[in-house]
Amino acid sequence: MTKTAVEIHDLVVAYNRKPVLWNIDAHLPAGKIIGIIGPNGAGKSTLIKAMMGLLKPASGKILFFDNPLDEVRERVAYVPQRESVDWQFPVTVFDVVLMGRYKKVGLFKNPGKSDKEKAKQALEKVDMYQFRDRQISQLSGGQQQRVFIARALIQDADIYLMDEPFAGVDASTEKAILKLMKEMGEQGKTVIVVHHDLQTVMDFFDWVMMLNQRLVACGKTQDVFIEKNLNDTYGGKLTLLNEVGQILSKNQMPQREK
Amino acid sequence: MIEFLSFLKDPNLQYVLWGCILLSFSAGLIGCFAYLQKKALIGDAISHSVLPGVAIAFMLIEVKSLPVLLTGAFVSGIISQYLVVKLSEHPKISKDTAIGFVLTFFFGIGIVLLTFIQQSGHAGQSGLEDFIFGKAATLVQKDINLFIALSVIIIIVVLLMKKEFTIVSFDEDFAHTSGMNVSMINKVMTGLYVMAIVSGIQAVGVVLMSALVITPAAAGRFWTNNINKLLIISSLIAGLGGGIGVLISYSAPQMPTGPWVVVVLSVIALISFLIAPQTGIISKWFNQRKNKQKIHNENILKLLYKICEKRGNVQCSIDKNEAADRYSLSKKEFFNKLNRLNKKGYLEYQINNQIQLTKKGVDEGQRIVRLHRLWEAYLATYLNIAPDHVHDDAEAIEHVLTPELEAKLDRLLDYPEADPHKAKIPRKKKI
Repeated sequence: MTKTAVEIHDLVVAYNRKPVLWNIDAHLPAGKIIGIIGPNGAGKSTLIKAMMGLLKPASGKILFFDNPLDEVRERVAYVPQRESVDWQFPVTVFDVVLMGRYKKVGLFKNPGKSDKEKAKQALEKVDMYQFRDRQISQLSGGQQQRVFIARALIQDADIYLMDEPFAGVDASTEKAILKLMKEMGEQGKTVIVVHHDLQTVMDFFDWVMMLNQRLVACGKTQDVFIEKNLNDTYGGKLTLLNEVGQILSKNQMPQREK
Repeated sequence: MIEFLSFLKDPNLQYVLWGCILLSFSAGLIGCFAYLQKKALIGDAISHSVLPGVAIAFMLIEVKSLPVLLTGAFVSGIISQYLVVKLSEHPKISKDTAIGFVLTFFFGIGIVLLTFIQQSGHAGQSGLEDFIFGKAATLVQKDINLFIALSVIIIIVVLLMKKEFTIVSFDEDFAHTSGMNVSMINKVMTGLYVMAIVSGIQAVGVVLMSALVITPAAAGRFWTNNINKLLIISSLIAGLGGGIGVLISYSAPQMPTGPWVVVVLSVIALISFLIAPQTGIISKWFNQRKNKQKIHNENILKLLYKICEKRGNVQCSIDKNEAADRYSLSKKEFFNKLNRLNKKGYLEYQINNQIQLTKKGVDEGQRIVRLHRLWEAYLATYLNIAPDHVHDDAEAIEHVLTPELEAKLDRLLDYPEADPHKAKIPRKKKI
């Protein structure tokens, strides 16, 4: 029996009271590489943002190693979608990676020698150290993704949540990220990845969560990544669920009675 | 002119001048973060929104005491920001709608209150209207001390919290997930914006003060890709704009300061836009010219190479008039280009108007022809484009392919012998 890294308990997330995730209930095992898959608009990024505390759930809770996020922040690292920031921002690769240490460095202080050493190691792991002084505006998509991953690596967490790290990256970056993920898995870290490409699910992940506004399946890849579940996940949205959501939003009704 | 210089010796003016330069400097400093957070309009909203605060503070104490008026302005600015945030949380109201609404609403109330005060014939109200467009010449030493204090606070806080401001400006979500108190940091930043704007309203005026926050950073961004340098350049530009504005206000007391500050800053921004290295219009223009030159050079070498290729001898002699007839430029221009290629050692002149490619020229011409035909082969094979449609595309792409891409193309196509038109792809002979 492996330890549970993340427990999602009856999670409902709503935008303007319209639920986009209904009653997600799942246990994610520690030390595994876990894929979250589903069609566009299935709520994959929403789930990961809710897990990271960026969206407030309408109800339900999420526990990391049996604790709420605020008590174990340092053990959870986040790699946002590449497109979520402005890459014209006037900083270098090294500056961005160091940002992963800012919280630990603390207010009114500057990153010190050990922080810089850690940044160097993280950049070497993603094979980007030679680009350390480059402006981030000059990076390719794959290089941007590597920088973001290095910034998370420097946090020395136990659980990593990555939002579409394989989207729009070149083949060599994909290989490098995958290799890194496998290494992290071997070190007992849990890696949770929002993923798009069904072709690679079998090779990439030990465990999958199949999502389309509700949880279709969650389990070992070879057990749940089967045709029936795929049809359920990708076979269109549940229109009734959508209609109910519309009404909740229109009448500003709560999703739970209290 | 002598008169102009003589008033510079006035100690009061000197004090006001340095005070205004300092307050502009601090506005340019914190303004960098407003610019980087893409919150340019926020500055505008704050500056317009401080006016009712000034008016209400005056109505309450009925004396023109600057510390009280500025406190009123500060409170009013903060309330406006709170309203913008709250309004834009509503799904039907976008952020710019909220800003537009709050800005005009507060400014409207401010003007109504000011008019009301003026009509009440209150003693000591004169000069309140200077807060609209600013009048640095009305400042006295006591006021300046207050502004200096505010500016110093802004500068110190920015220096202490630069790290936090940077991460929140770049990636707020990440800052939040790493456990930083993002909402607190944002509140401090907003507080500093309001302070910077409030400290400038007497010298520059509420209508145009936001220019002192945003324009210097926008101008500075043309000159650097480094956030530390941006902070310095932006502050210096702001200080320069503020200083020149004050001097003009003193030399022509009937003129408001704000518009002059904005004119000076805008000129600096415009010049940056034109002449900044790499990103400026002029350097872009030079770059385009250089590209054109390169394209002509390569096309002429390609033409000469192809003429000789047909004759079966890559280093043949060519009549330059004959070559000119086959090129899109006028004869005169074409001969100019030949001269240039000659100087660079790509070709040599011979007697009777004949020209001949040098070894270097043959290599270069051959390289372009090779890239052209490789690209045609690639389009035909990988994009399924008909052979008679690939030429125009290759004409452009041949000039941008790097040696690395060439090697990749060769590998992908398995070192092809010929292009889709069955023309041989020329390669250097293996030694």
